[in-house]
Amino acid sequence: MVLNIVVCMKQVPNPDLQFQINPEGTDIRRDALNYRTNGADEYALEEAVRLKEKHGGRVTVITAGPKRTEPMLREALAKGADEAVRVAVDDPAPYDAMKVARILAAAVKTIPHDLVLTGVQSDDHINSLTGGLLAATLGRPHASVVTKVDLSGTTVTASRELEGGDIQVVQLDTPAVLTIQFGTNTPRYAPLPAIMKASRQPIRELGPAALGAATWEDFATGYAFRVHRLSPPEAKGHAEMFTGPVAEQAKRLARLLREKGFYRG
Amino acid sequence: MEGVLVVAEHREGRLSPATFELIALGRALAVRTDGLRVAVLGSGVERIASHVAEHAEVVLVQDPLLREYTPGGYAQALAVVRRSVDPKVVLLPHSSQGFDLAPALAAEWESPIVTNVVGLSIEGDQALAYRKILNDKLVAEVELSSEKPFIITVRPGGKASDPLPSPAPITNASVSIDASKLGARFVRYEKPQVQDIDIASADIVVSAGRGIKEKKNLALVEAFAKALGGVVGASRPLTDMEWLPKTRQVGQSGKTVRPKLYVACGISGAMQHVSGMKDAGTIIAINTDPTAPIFEVAHYGFTANVLELLPAVVKELKGA
Repeated sequence: MVLNIVVCMKQVPNPDLQFQINPEGTDIRRDALNYRTNGADEYALEEAVRLKEKHGGRVTVITAGPKRTEPMLREALAKGADEAVRVAVDDPAPYDAMKVARILAAAVKTIPHDLVLTGVQSDDHINSLTGGLLAATLGRPHASVVTKVDLSGTTVTASRELEGGDIQVVQLDTPAVLTIQFGTNTPRYAPLPAIMKASRQPIRELGPAALGAATWEDFATGYAFRVHRLSPPEAKGHAEMFTGPVAEQAKRLARLLREKGFYRG
Repeated sequence: MEGVLVVAEHREGRLSPATFELIALGRALAVRTDGLRVAVLGSGVERIASHVAEHAEVVLVQDPLLREYTPGGYAQALAVVRRSVDPKVVLLPHSSQGFDLAPALAAEWESPIVTNVVGLSIEGDQALAYRKILNDKLVAEVELSSEKPFIITVRPGGKASDPLPSPAPITNASVSIDASKLGARFVRYEKPQVQDIDIASADIVVSAGRGIKEKKNLALVEAFAKALGGVVGASRPLTDMEWLPKTRQVGQSGKTVRPKLYVACGISGAMQHVSGMKDAGTIIAINTDPTAPIFEVAHYGFTANVLELLPAVVKELKGA
């Protein structure tokens, strides 16, 4: 039996940046944004490649996104994926996770899969939703926040992380969908020859027609979903801020610590 | 009909505090709908049901196969609850269990779903959910409309409900869970046993985050913590990289701390971290990014490079 693993990855705007809201107020301004691979998806990819190295098999990485996602897919190939698929959804900000999951599910169905791995959440929207919806749409069992995966025949034993650091061990039958937690492994760096090789590898593109649809709108959900407005958070309590030269701030901080009785030197 | 249904979360005989936060939100929503009910699912959970009933009406569903949470078991039980309660909105905590279950429920019910919300209002078939995105730097208002029940997971940390003047009724609903449809099957719990200092019992916690850039810079944080007689904690990325043991992690998947003083060094303030330290007596944050969300929970904010500020402040303290 060949183990087939599909890894769903997403490219996200680097959340460490500062963001501006577009004039319509419905999205961030996306011109000149710096994108990167979603953090948790890096761990999902690494886990997939390790499972392949242990059991043999094949890893396919897939994303739903515009052309700019190709470098992310090539990097995944260089890190050990065998094939890359881009579902050519050009919406730069797919807020509706259900629609994305339905599109991804239709695409995953066209690829042999014993395991589908993805990150526990995306760094931009923090929905923790796509993996679970994908599983349900595919009709596969699902475990989220997974920190350890053991595979024996068609049984997956997965450790799920609970609040407070406790672990819940669960078992699922393949094909199964797992969402992988941060810190599950140490993602590798791609070696240079692999990067060179990946730069020449083809990326398979799937449009709506390949998934039996006329347009991506065919995957829309039965309910209305729209981002009404983006706004900066209401400044609830905010810290009393200290700025200026470091030496000055150090003096202020030292004084504060003394005044509050936190330093008794 | 068309009320609010809260799904209680409990594990090993203990109710999650998030349940009472959902009840508080549910009460506010229930003003405009047909009441609030809490589904307590389990086996031998009468005591938990009675505790919940001090806050809201309970629908109790018991079956040996509900002893531990499984997504399929809970989904089957909630299908039964749905028939008797007919909810317009189902509230779950945005927790490891909540966001495991919620998407399965949404797909099965063909329901709209929004997760990790910090605010919610419902008007007929329309829901307006508020959620924080991009490291909590923006708030997105998401508008949904559907005739189906809305499935919502709520970010923990809200206000908890007060008990009712007298306990509400508990109604039993019977269910027969199909063992072949549990989804991921429960095997066991594991509790990591590591010998280390307990950061939760310290009066002063100085935590390091990604802003310290390199492992060797931990020495600066340690020196500062030592000067104050405190202990060193960390945000998740640092324990993931094993710069510090997991026992030092402050946050949702780590420890919750309430020290007299908490100093966040180079920590942006993601929800996962903030939920573990927001109740500290005094919070001082040091971060170069003045828009970092950590400054929303901090009392004092220093917009400096932590690697420069820490040695300078240690010198100030010792030199005087």
